[in-house]
Amino acid sequence: MTAARIRLWELPIRIFHWSLAAAVLSAIASGLTGGNWMIWHQRLGLVAVGRPAFRLVWGFAGPTHARFSSFWPTPGKVAAYLRGAWRGIGHNPLAALSVLALLGTVAFQASRGLLANDDIAFNGPFYALIDKATNDAATGWHRTAVNVLYLLVARQVAAIAFHARIKRQNLIRPMITGWHEGQGAQPTCGGSRHTLAFSLALALLVVYAASGTWLPAPVTPATSPTMDW
Amino acid sequence: MLHRFKQGLAVSILLAVSGSVLAQQLPQLKPEEATRYRKAGYAFANRNMLKIKAMLDGSLPYNKDQVLAAATVINSTVNSGMGALYLPGTEKDIGSEKTRLKPEFFTQPDKVKEVAGACRTAGSKLATAAASSNQAQVRVAFDDMGKAGKGCHDAFRKD
Ligand code: HEM
Ligand code: HEM
Repeated sequence: MTAARIRLWELPIRIFHWSLAAAVLSAIASGLTGGNWMIWHQRLGLVAVGRPAFRLVWGFAGPTHARFSSFWPTPGKVAAYLRGAWRGIGHNPLAALSVLALLGTVAFQASRGLLANDDIAFNGPFYALIDKATNDAATGWHRTAVNVLYLLVARQVAAIAFHARIKRQNLIRPMITGWHEGQGAQPTCGGSRHTLAFSLALALLVVYAASGTWLPAPVTPATSPTMDW
Repeated sequence: MLHRFKQGLAVSILLAVSGSVLAQQLPQLKPEEATRYRKAGYAFANRNMLKIKAMLDGSLPYNKDQVLAAATVINSTVNSGMGALYLPGTEKDIGSEKTRLKPEFFTQPDKVKEVAGACRTAGSKLATAAASSNQAQVRVAFDDMGKAGKGCHDAFRKD
């Protein structure tokens, strides 16, 4: 039996997946709550920002099933899948579409957040770099684009339920244990330590850049004694 | 004598008439002014919220007097009769005066009353908390104030 299983998702991909899910869901919850939770909203949003950067590297240099080239959803593949003729493992072509959409939306969402403001007591780290009308436009996008995320999350849950009930296939277990039970699949290779080091470094760099802590501190002109009122 | 009386009468009438003109009450509010004032009020409240936040998160040293001054601005603003600044028709831009007010504001008076009421209560609690030296209390009141503002923005401010 053990001979028939393969390593489908490497550990870094699994950590990536669950930390992205946790960061996005808690960013949504904190954003909707507002108030003092906005401080956490920024932190969680920044964690989310690093994920697409990390995933991008794995998409090109990662192990077999994590590579974009292995699951890139060409129209031909999507059509084959819909006819029931697709025979791969890992992300099926429809799932691949939503993986790419999810990564893109998270990147878009978080980048708008960096420019956003809630008009009450919270400004994104790059708020000061642009004028208020542009801040407000970014805020509008931030509040609207999150609906796309809701759709994608709902699609994900629906797909898991569909596979569990109709296809009798557990999609969650491989994403926890990393093992895919079944034969005929090409084993995973690639995704060296170097890839890991590089992708982590890039993700950290992106998070650092997005945090805006490197921006020069705002200059508060010293109040002259005559203006001290 | 009669002449003097007439003169006096004329002066009194003149005074009375001009007095009633001068003593005209509050000038009539133009719609674009209503929009300008409410935006100005909220924007200044926003600035003062940011000040309190900076003192709560340690970016600025906590200064009880400044927190109290900021909380007083916020409380007075939200309790200043802002409702009067929502003139009918001001859900549209007027000249260069832009607005982000949703038209629903004028069709959902109960919801407006609810969110505005929550904001006024939060404002007075914030002022009370700021008057105490209790930072933890200010933090809680600040959280409520933020959520109350968000409640209104979610419902009536355009994205
Ligand atoms: C993928 C990451 C993120 C997600 C999923 C997310 C999601 C959300 C959600 C659901 C809201 C509430 C919108 C509403 O109440 O209608 C929100 C508001 C907000 N977010 Fe994010 N956010 C993310 C990242 C960020 C980042 C990195 C920042 C900036 C540091 C940020 C800044 C804001 C601001 C300022 C608001 C308030 C907008 C308003 O109330 O007008 N967000 N976000
Ligand atoms: C802590 C309390 C509040 C703060 C700090 C705040 C802050 C702001 C700010 C800065 C703006 C943008 C103004 C501009 O465009 O220059 C705004 C707009 C707006 N706020 Fe608030 N707000 C608060 C409470 C409320 C409440 C209680 C309501 C509902 C009754 C409300 C409804 C609106 C609406 C409708 C707009 C759009 C106004 C327009 O564009 O004409 N806000 N707010």
